[in-house]
Amino acid sequence: MVEKLMNVKDLKVRFKTEDGHVSTVNGVTFNVNEGETLAIVGESGSGKSVTSLALMGILPPNGEVYEGEMTFNGKNLRTLSKKDYRALRGNEISMIFQEPMTALNPVFTIGYQIRETLIVHYKMTKEQANIRGIEMLELVGIPDAEKVMGRFPHQLSGGMRQRVMIAIALSCNPRLLIADEPTTALDVTIQAQILTLMRNLKEKSNTSIMIITHDLGVVAELADRVIVMYAGEVVEEASVFELFKNPKHPYTKGLMASIPKVHDVVDDLYSIEGTVPNPTNMPSGCKFHPRCPLADVECKRIHPDLEYVSEGHAKRCIKV
Amino acid sequence: MKYFLQNLLKTIPVLLLITLIVFLLVRVTGDPVSLMLPETATDEERESLREALGFNDPLPVQYFTYLSDLVRGDFGESFRYNTDAFALVLERLPATFELAFASMIVAIIISIPLGILSAVKRNSFLDLFITGGAVLGKAMPSFWLGIMLILFLAVNTQIFPVSGRGGLLYLVLPAITLGTGIAAEMTRLIRSSMLEILGQDFIRTARSKGLKEALVVNKHAFRNALIPVVTIMALQTSTLVGGTLITETVFAWPGLGQLLVQAVNLRDMAVVQAATFLIAIFVILSNLIADLTYRLLDPRIKYD
Ligand SMILES: Nc1ncnc2c1ncn2[C@@H]1O[C@H](COP(=O)(O)OP(=O)(O)O)[C@@H](O)[C@H]1O
Ligand SMILES: [Mg+2]
Repeated sequence: MVEKLMNVKDLKVRFKTEDGHVSTVNGVTFNVNEGETLAIVGESGSGKSVTSLALMGILPPNGEVYEGEMTFNGKNLRTLSKKDYRALRGNEISMIFQEPMTALNPVFTIGYQIRETLIVHYKMTKEQANIRGIEMLELVGIPDAEKVMGRFPHQLSGGMRQRVMIAIALSCNPRLLIADEPTTALDVTIQAQILTLMRNLKEKSNTSIMIITHDLGVVAELADRVIVMYAGEVVEEASVFELFKNPKHPYTKGLMASIPKVHDVVDDLYSIEGTVPNPTNMPSGCKFHPRCPLADVECKRIHPDLEYVSEGHAKRCIKV
Repeated sequence: MKYFLQNLLKTIPVLLLITLIVFLLVRVTGDPVSLMLPETATDEERESLREALGFNDPLPVQYFTYLSDLVRGDFGESFRYNTDAFALVLERLPATFELAFASMIVAIIISIPLGILSAVKRNSFLDLFITGGAVLGKAMPSFWLGIMLILFLAVNTQIFPVSGRGGLLYLVLPAITLGTGIAAEMTRLIRSSMLEILGQDFIRTARSKGLKEALVVNKHAFRNALIPVVTIMALQTSTLVGGTLITETVFAWPGLGQLLVQAVNLRDMAVVQAATFLIAIFVILSNLIADLTYRLLDPRIKYD
């Protein structure tokens, strides 16, 4: 058994745009261990989705991994043939996306879309795939699963569609499930239901989960370990317990402070001043320094390395 | 089916309007009496023929007579052939259908692969080549293309017959002539529709499931891309009909188009009216069929 299921080292991704190459993931290192849930947190635009698409090998046509290593279960993903990569996708690594409303194909039935993966990877017959499909829909808590198989996506609510996506993603018993903000687009009550569902799945199976979110509430609910991303880099890594108890990086502290407390009125909500820098115009030195309360001249100059402060806890900051 | 019938009923006023317009157009372009009689005929002879054919009645009376004949299926007699105009038109229908059908096949065979290919390879040299070809195909007058094809493939090399209708060999050049313009339009449509669909989230989902790229493109994307293409193509049926007029004339193809062009030149009123009426019905029917196909392709549309 390989302990480190997914190993990412110094991953760099860039896009070809009108202004030339723009690098949006700048040397990300992390691993996902067998059976654990790793959360990736960070504001919008910090490179979380791009990182996960890179791992899946489905970056948009203008994007490419130009440096670094991605190893899954001992296989080098960067040198894997297209055919072998396809055999992994939807099978050993699968993914659910942020937008359940648009993630399913509008012209095919739910049944077709769930059977498809099973037929491709497990070489099932249509009948076998149908039985397994119904089982999967039941597993993710969809009532009337048999009827839903014949429905089209537009006939289901957002929450139901996300359940369908989860059912499809889990249908081939993946070893790694990448969930890219699976609850962000949903109503609060539905968010809670989907989180509970994911929690149950996590407890019942040995599937490793990589959950991407900007919501620390989700992190607390699901994750074992967390990495915090900022401007295409990992700025902090720790176990959930350690991160909440003892956050190091000023950015992480900022994120913590912006979690709404029960008594907070929206106006009082703390938020980190400024925005994530544009990849075409990255600040020198530490990328967070223009927004950092602790920053001084040093920070403008020095780009800090990711350093371990204790076992399993690392930060990218020279001030703490 | 109920939906279909409802729409069929809605087309009756449209048809009535068409009969009126054609009726008026045929009359303002001059009466056929001068062409029917020899040049040596006297004014009295012309006048009595006019009277006998009812051309001296007031227009509303003429239109009413025409309509009441029409509902009985009587379109009048052809001056030229001295036979029932509607029978004459019906007799030409199979030839035109054969040509239109073959042209659509040519257009589909050309446009689907090229449209998909240029979308998948967008902004490449190949895409530029295909898009350029489509512009050219659309801009090229079909009579010119027809004449060039006749010149190079029939007269000079004698691979295909010059004109007329016979076996499959006779069909090739007219079908290419008529099909090219449609193919060009369809290629452009399929390309832009595919480009839009390929950027959608569900395409990323399909890829994330480990499907072959060919399946992602040809099934997941194309099935969606087809929806707008079918609708717009249906609206092009009238262009297709217009094209048959030219193509049939160039290739002496004995179809409805050729008959109509001749009839217009000879002011053979009954034939002109019968032919346009039939063409109108054909265009309306094909729009209805397209509407149904559209509903079949897109599950999001409800029947109501
Ligand atoms: N197809 C693309 N072309 C160019 N830039 C892109 C593309 N996709 C994403 N990016 C850029 O990559 C950066 C990271 O995006 P993303 O990974 O989606 O952030 P998030 O952390 O919110 O998921 C953003 O600046 C975004 O503009
Ligand atoms: Mg994202």
